[in-house]
Amino acid sequence: MAVPLRRTLIALHRATCNSLKSGQGWVDVRQPLPLVVPVRGKKRHFIPPAVGVKERTKADPEARARAAGLVFRQQYVERAINISCTAGIFDPYVPPEGDARLSTLSREGLKQRTEQLRQSAASQLAIRKIKEHDPLFNTKTFPELAQDIFIQAHMALTQFNKEKLHSLVTERCYPEMTRGNRLKTIRWSFVESLEPPRVVHARCPDMVTKTNLYGQVTLRMHSRQTLALYDRFGRLLLGSEEEPKDVLEYLVIERHVVNPYGRWRLHGKIVPAWAPPKDPILKTVLIPGPKLKPGEEFDMLQFEVPKPQSVQWSK
Amino acid sequence: MATASTGRGVSFLRSLTGHLSSPCLSLRVLVPAGRLHTSASLEVNKNWERRNLELYPPQLPEEPRRPAEVHHCRRQIKYSKDKMWYLAKMIRGLSIDQAIAQLEFNDKKGAKIVKEVLLEAQDMAVRNHNVEYKSNLYIAESHSGKGKYLKRIRYHGRGMFGIMDKVYCHYFVKLVEGSPPRVVPPSGLDQAQAHLLSLRSRTVRHSL
Repeated sequence: MAVPLRRTLIALHRATCNSLKSGQGWVDVRQPLPLVVPVRGKKRHFIPPAVGVKERTKADPEARARAAGLVFRQQYVERAINISCTAGIFDPYVPPEGDARLSTLSREGLKQRTEQLRQSAASQLAIRKIKEHDPLFNTKTFPELAQDIFIQAHMALTQFNKEKLHSLVTERCYPEMTRGNRLKTIRWSFVESLEPPRVVHARCPDMVTKTNLYGQVTLRMHSRQTLALYDRFGRLLLGSEEEPKDVLEYLVIERHVVNPYGRWRLHGKIVPAWAPPKDPILKTVLIPGPKLKPGEEFDMLQFEVPKPQSVQWSK
Repeated sequence: MATASTGRGVSFLRSLTGHLSSPCLSLRVLVPAGRLHTSASLEVNKNWERRNLELYPPQLPEEPRRPAEVHHCRRQIKYSKDKMWYLAKMIRGLSIDQAIAQLEFNDKKGAKIVKEVLLEAQDMAVRNHNVEYKSNLYIAESHSGKGKYLKRIRYHGRGMFGIMDKVYCHYFVKLVEGSPPRVVPPSGLDQAQAHLLSLRSRTVRHSL
């Protein structure tokens, strides 16, 4: 305390002396000079740099190591890929709207029919290719097998039997089926099949090399199922256990055909653009509104809730 | 326990180098530097957070809806557990909005931290635990715990010294969905009756 006080007094003294000296007389009154009193605060004007901070912030550690006489071993950028299944659905099936019951005389109906013809021609070639590698494959018997795979996989999902699920579902499909289910309870049952399932589409994509073939078969399944989803506290999130629903599904089933131990596994699902919207969840959610300027009022009637476009998607 | 076991590990390594009796084979060759854990054990009990992973069985349609509950905590807060207790006690049994309002106007250092933890827990509840309205929560449990202390030497005169603690604390909170339950304070008559009962039910030893 003593030092700053003394320093202030000196500064004060200096300021007053200066004004006296420069004033020469008492007659002309001058404005006093702005009095700056140096007060010592806690602000540090110079902060000494930390030891070695320059070295640490250097961008290239390799150059630094080389300067120090060390040689880095070669760095590989590696990314694991899985070749037991493909990464997506190759040339996905476009389900015809209204089950292709549009008349061929109308324009849409004709367009639909030509599209169907083109797809079925490629399907025939693919089926022939699959049969080359898998002599047991038959479009007559396959749908039953595929439906069984579908039911088994969903049963394994409700019990969360990981080992079994991996044998029934491809590696691409697995995270999509299981993600977010960790703290939820799923109750699912297959009630009955309304129409016999049938093969509608087949493709034979290859990956990495020409001979590394995969068989992808799309199956149309119309069935009755029940689904109820419960949250962590056992409260109903979605659906109902008692009320069965008619479900029209397009399943994609895949097999690594060149692998003699490969098996048909569930790979994905195609949701057509014309599919009816899903049931809403039983929860109040906030829909972000428009940005308002000050003075503007929110008009309920003018604002439209944004809706997603209806596009065919797969999962 | 942990320090003892690490000590044994070091001596084991030393004996190993001794047996091999090769001068160039140092401790660094055996175990990569930095992998050898020599300090006290740092594992913490994470039971409070783990309670969020509990899965309840599905409810029947006629059952009353089970309220959601969220456990949240913050660990190793640079604050005293005893000072934190007062704040924890203050908000116990309040609704979340009321608790946040109370902490907003509290000047203690811990009030800011507790408020942050409450807001985090509220956000978690809405995001991850299927709570519909974020204001429909109350503080069912709120308490503080002792953290891992650092020990430092405090120098006294005449060659004496003391050991001081650099204190840390944990803060735990459990939010439950719904409005806070009403607690009716016992009336004078109830208290008197309870007192009378306690007097009558006592055992007088070595009496007649």
